[in-house]
Amino acid sequence: MDLVIRAIALFAFMYLLTRVMGRRELSSLEPFDLILLIVLGDSIQQGLTQDDYSVTGAVIAVGTIAVLQVIVSYSSFRFRWARSFLNGDPIVLVQDGEVIKRNLKRERITHEELAEQARGQQIAKLEDVQWAVFEPSGSISFIPKQ
Amino acid sequence: MADVPDTIVLKRDRDLEGRRNDIWVRRGLMSLVAVVPVVALFNVFGQRPDSTTLVSPEASLKIYAPSHLRGGLIFQARFHVTARAEIKDAYLVLGPGWAEGMTINTIEPSPVSEASNNGRISLELGHIPAGQSYILFTDFQVNPTNVAFGRRQTVWLTDGKTRLITYEREINVYP
Repeated sequence: MDLVIRAIALFAFMYLLTRVMGRRELSSLEPFDLILLIVLGDSIQQGLTQDDYSVTGAVIAVGTIAVLQVIVSYSSFRFRWARSFLNGDPIVLVQDGEVIKRNLKRERITHEELAEQARGQQIAKLEDVQWAVFEPSGSISFIPKQ
Repeated sequence: MADVPDTIVLKRDRDLEGRRNDIWVRRGLMSLVAVVPVVALFNVFGQRPDSTTLVSPEASLKIYAPSHLRGGLIFQARFHVTARAEIKDAYLVLGPGWAEGMTINTIEPSPVSEASNNGRISLELGHIPAGQSYILFTDFQVNPTNVAFGRRQTVWLTDGKTRLITYEREINVYP
């Protein structure tokens, strides 16, 4: 029983963390982020299974997390309000070549970072962008002007 | 204006109508998350030991042990008895809270005898001459499923059946 409760508590905490930390921090996977992910996983594992080395314990923990993930995923699919709450909504960063500074500031994205992301999609100038949308996944989609 | 991309709602996704306060909710929750490590720095969740000394005309007892713990932690409790007058047959009696949900790894030096004293753990330390000290080291590990708030850990120092010192302490064990 304890293992299920621990799994639920840690899942909820991790989900909350990923939502409140902001998408910026989660979208990139640079070397330090990769190390951080491993450290995070290891810390969570110890709190989750503690001194339980059994196969039963592993099945309970993994099973609980899988069920929770399906519940989250289904809720997000089924209910619009849940999708906003669980995944977030997109944010328009550029419209008709005009950068919407308020939205950039809100997501802690600098003009330079936005330009860098645009260059990554073969767009040299932000004024050539029709729409730039910061997606719930943390990536930025660029739609160039026709 | 060029066509708006599918599923993008300008009022919601560009003008952030109805979403202005989201950022403050996010910041508030992040602050709550940040509070946990800050509070932890102040030993709220353990495991820094605290020290308490009790004195009676016959003896003094110094207890050095953490009062805030977490599941799975290994910790030491040290009982330092100093005889101010001769103690012919010293006993250190620990309330059941000391062993509840704990694994006792070792007690050094080993007491002369161990017994149950009305449900308490009675450790016979033996003779302590006046002016001499006896330091008992006990090493514990908190069982991972052990959770406790305000659990009593009483300690009695006796000479035979005569109580010399009584100390009431409490521990919190966080999950």
